[in-house]
Amino acid sequence: MARILIILSLVGALAVTAVWVALGAHPGWTKMKIETKQVDPVTEIEFTEYRSGFVPGIDFLGAGLAGCVLLAGTGWIVSKLHIKKPHA
Amino acid sequence: MKTTPLLLATVALVAAAQAAPLTFDFKDPKGVNNVVFKLDAPLESINGTASGVSGTITVDPADPSKVSGKIVVETKSLTVPNSVMQEHMLGEKWLDAAKHPEISFEVKDISNIQRQGDTGTAKVTGLFTLKGVTKEITVDAKVTYLPGRLAERSPQKTPGDLLVIRSQFKINRSDFGIQAGENTDKVAEEIELSLSVAGAAPKG
Repeated sequence: MARILIILSLVGALAVTAVWVALGAHPGWTKMKIETKQVDPVTEIEFTEYRSGFVPGIDFLGAGLAGCVLLAGTGWIVSKLHIKKPHA
Repeated sequence: MKTTPLLLATVALVAAAQAAPLTFDFKDPKGVNNVVFKLDAPLESINGTASGVSGTITVDPADPSKVSGKIVVETKSLTVPNSVMQEHMLGEKWLDAAKHPEISFEVKDISNIQRQGDTGTAKVTGLFTLKGVTKEITVDAKVTYLPGRLAERSPQKTPGDLLVIRSQFKINRSDFGIQAGENTDKVAEEIELSLSVAGAAPKG
């Protein structure tokens, strides 16, 4: 059980980091809208168009890794309890 | 010979019509009119745009010193890419969009006009209203008059003129009661605004 939790936390940490890197390694806050710059050909005004999208930021990476650390910690506690059990 | 007075009258009428002040409507059906806002913050600067622009400006292209009107921005049209941040920004503690649905700039005076063809720069003084607080500010503006170019942007090929206004200026959020003196470690006091709007004056 403890080993499974620790393995899960390592896999989770790798997955969260991989997703963050694959989707742009954005160093700011997570974006739920993607901006695209456009220029009106007549007035030459530059304007922004938004479309739905997901760009994970540092908060996504931090929350994901924190969850994995929590999982690994739980695994470690469980392993300690298992070691203590035979002596009880 | 009889046609001469008629011709003169027609020329005079056309000249008078061209010299008359024009009213430009800034509710752009294509939705390109926008105000970009930027505030410094520790992790990354907060950048967003407001697209709900409306209002009218009346100006005499022959004498741009005679100008009046108001540009209005719908508060709830302010958009940032992070939805939690957007919720906070429009919420009661920051812009309170429900109670203060409009941000506006009413033109009062224009000075230091420098013209170069159909483009000019000027200092525009007006009443800027944000979150219910009105303050007189003076901003630098670049104005481009595009006579006869409305048809190029209109699906119905409506004849008319366009007026493009660009301006960049800064305000302090505490001057407008936006978390005055609070959260300065999280969000800068100074807000950079960049206005790019086009108004249309149909003819005929």
